[in-house]
Parts: sequence; C-alpha cells; structure tokens
Amino acid sequence: MSMFRAKKLDLGGFINGKIIRDHTKRRVFEANEVERQALRYVIRNTTLPARARAQAQLQLAAMHAYTRPTQIKNRCVAGGVARSVIRDFRLGRYQFREQALAGELPGVRKASW
Amino acid sequence: MLLISSVFDVSRTLIKRRLMSLLSCPRLLSRVGQRLQPLVWSRRSSSSLWPDETDSSSDDLPRASSLTKDNQNPSQITQLTESPKLQAKDWMQRLDGLSGKARLPRSVQAVYLRPLRRKAEYGLPVCDLQLRSYNVRNVEFFADFAVRAAYYLGLPVSGPVPLPRIVERWTVPRSNFVHKKSQENFERITLRRLIQIKDGNPQTVQAWLAFLRKYAFHGVGMKANMWEYESLDVPKNLDRAGLETEKSLEGLLSQFGQRQDTRINDSLADLLNKDHLVTTKSPLAEVGKR
Repeated sequence: MSMFRAKKLDLGGFINGKIIRDHTKRRVFEANEVERQALRYVIRNTTLPARARAQAQLQLAAMHAYTRPTQIKNRCVAGGVARSVIRDFRLGRYQFREQALAGELPGVRKASW
Repeated sequence: MLLISSVFDVSRTLIKRRLMSLLSCPRLLSRVGQRLQPLVWSRRSSSSLWPDETDSSSDDLPRASSLTKDNQNPSQITQLTESPKLQAKDWMQRLDGLSGKARLPRSVQAVYLRPLRRKAEYGLPVCDLQLRSYNVRNVEFFADFAVRAAYYLGLPVSGPVPLPRIVERWTVPRSNFVHKKSQENFERITLRRLIQIKDGNPQTVQAWLAFLRKYAFHGVGMKANMWEYESLDVPKNLDRAGLETEKSLEGLLSQFGQRQDTRINDSLADLLNKDHLVTTKSPLAEVGKR
C-alpha cells in the first residue's frame, strides 16, 4: 500500500518490488503491534463487559491488513525469492547453494556421511 | 670462556680492592655485601670504573685486567675481519654452540609443553566458558590460550572439555528450478569446548574474561556463565543490599513515572472510541460506533 510505503528508499541490498512491499509490511506491523496486542487482550479478557469486547473485536478486524503479522513472509536477501528460504542465512535455496560452494558462508561445506 | 674468566678476574680484583678500602672506611661495609654479588655489576663497573682507578691501585692487579683486555680486543678484531667470508659457517657454529648451552626463556619453553595448571582447593565451579568454532584448530588453540592465561592469573581450571558437536545439515536441489531428483547436501559442524574455572575470585575471573575478549581469536565465539556465592545468612545480606540499592536508585526513581504531558485520563471505552481506531472504511465500523 502506497500510503504506508516510505517516501525514500529505506532499504539496502537486493531490491525488488516484493521485497519493498514485505519491508513495508514489517514496518507497519511494528508500528501497530502494541495496539493490536491491546485489542487482543480486551477481546480475550472475560472480566471486561461484553460490549467493549465486541467493540474491540470489530476494531481489530477493521485494522489494516498490513498491521497483521501473518502478512510478513521471509524473503531471500540476495534474490528476493520467497520459497524455500533458509532461515539461518536468510537465503533462498539456490543462492544458499551458490554461496556455500563459493565458500562465502562460514563453516558450511559439502556434506557426505 | 675467555670472556667469562676475564670477568671473574676483574670481579676478584674488585673484591680485593674493596676489602682494602674497607679497612680505611668501615662505612662502606654494608654496601659491599649487596653490590658484589651480581656478576653483571662487576662487569659494568669494570668498564666504567676501571680506567681512572688503574693509576692509584697496586701494580699486579691492574696489569692482569689490562692483559685480559689486550687479549680480547685483537681477537675480536680478527673475528670481525674474518666473519664476512665465513658468515654462513659461523652462524651454523654459533647455533650449534647455542643449542648445547643456551636455552629459551622459561615462558617461551612453556609454550612447547602442556599448559600448567593450578590445583583447585575446594573445587567450587565459578565460571563456565564455552568456546565455539567451525574450525578444530582455532578452537583448540584458543582453549589452550585460555587455560594458560588462567594459570598465570592464578585460576584453577578444568578442561577444555570437548562438548558434543552441533551438526546442521541442509539438502537443496542443485538446480534453481525443478529437478528435485538431483540434490546436494551441505553441513555446518560447530565444535565446542568447555573450560571451567574453579574457586577463583570473581574479579580475577572477570579480568580473565576481559583478557580473553581483548585477544579474541578469529572464528571463535565465546559464551561465559559466572556464579557468585553468598554466605548462608541470605536475609541479612539482602536487607543490607536493599538499603544500598535503594539509596543508589533514589535519583533515578525520582524521575521515574509517566510524563505529565502524555498522561491519558480516558477510560477504556473512550480509548476504544478514539477516532483513529473507529474511522475506517470497513462495513462493520458502523456497528462499532453505535
């Protein structure tokens, strides 16, 4: 969403439309995390009046999709690929293989057992 | 040998001379005992004090010293003139001579031997240091270094204990697209060593850790757990510590609290009805407002 996107590029490394989008989502989620948690707390707290809880439910549902943590998807920092990203290195599987073979990942080598 | 004997001669002559002067001046007696012992001193003095004293002293002693000097100097000169031709051979000879007689300093010798260790008196564990690396040599080397450093700081050490290796493996397709049948395996093996310090002073242990951090080795990670021990009278100590910490925190706590300008007195209902939460475009927002 363009309204959330930073006016100036605030990201280094490999750049891609999808990477910028994911980055924006991460930023928006971070900014709204407390609010989300507060609403979630109100919804689950059975000691609060039912009306307030229902209201909180509606408001949580009305929050923008970008504020949801489920929108965040790990992407390869070297190629922007979203599938099969190895968490330890934040690399897609092919980038991981290339870099491992080039000896750029400390301690990683070809295994045979 | 020649040089050493000459030095001995000189020192002996000096002793004689001193004894003679002692008879005239008993005030020197205390000093002589100290100063005559080290050989180096006599050698130094022979070069500095001798020339101006030769005239006044008795006949036979200065002659002996001058003789040795005369013997030395020409031989040295001849050596110097000959050395450019036979330098390689000379060096070899010198090294051979050295290996027989001389030795490395003890601290350097110790590097070639197993690290020395202090004996733990009580065996109370004080600090656990874990070293991690992907490289056996690095982690072994640094563990050795740490053990030696602990010895010189007077800390009893147990270890390095080789902890189980952490093996991580990844299997990825060789190609960037499909062809799942052809895959490749990669692994990363983390090696760990545990070094435990037993009954050391916490401050010394801190110094040891700081030293290890200062000379941290490339590719070796460190993780330390420290334990401090209290006396059995815990409540009394806690009371005392509590008073002290309260006193030290007074300044900070006076500034602690919510800022006046950010305080919100709204109730929860008001909070939920705030504009930025309510004004949305979703169809259910109307329900929330009511």
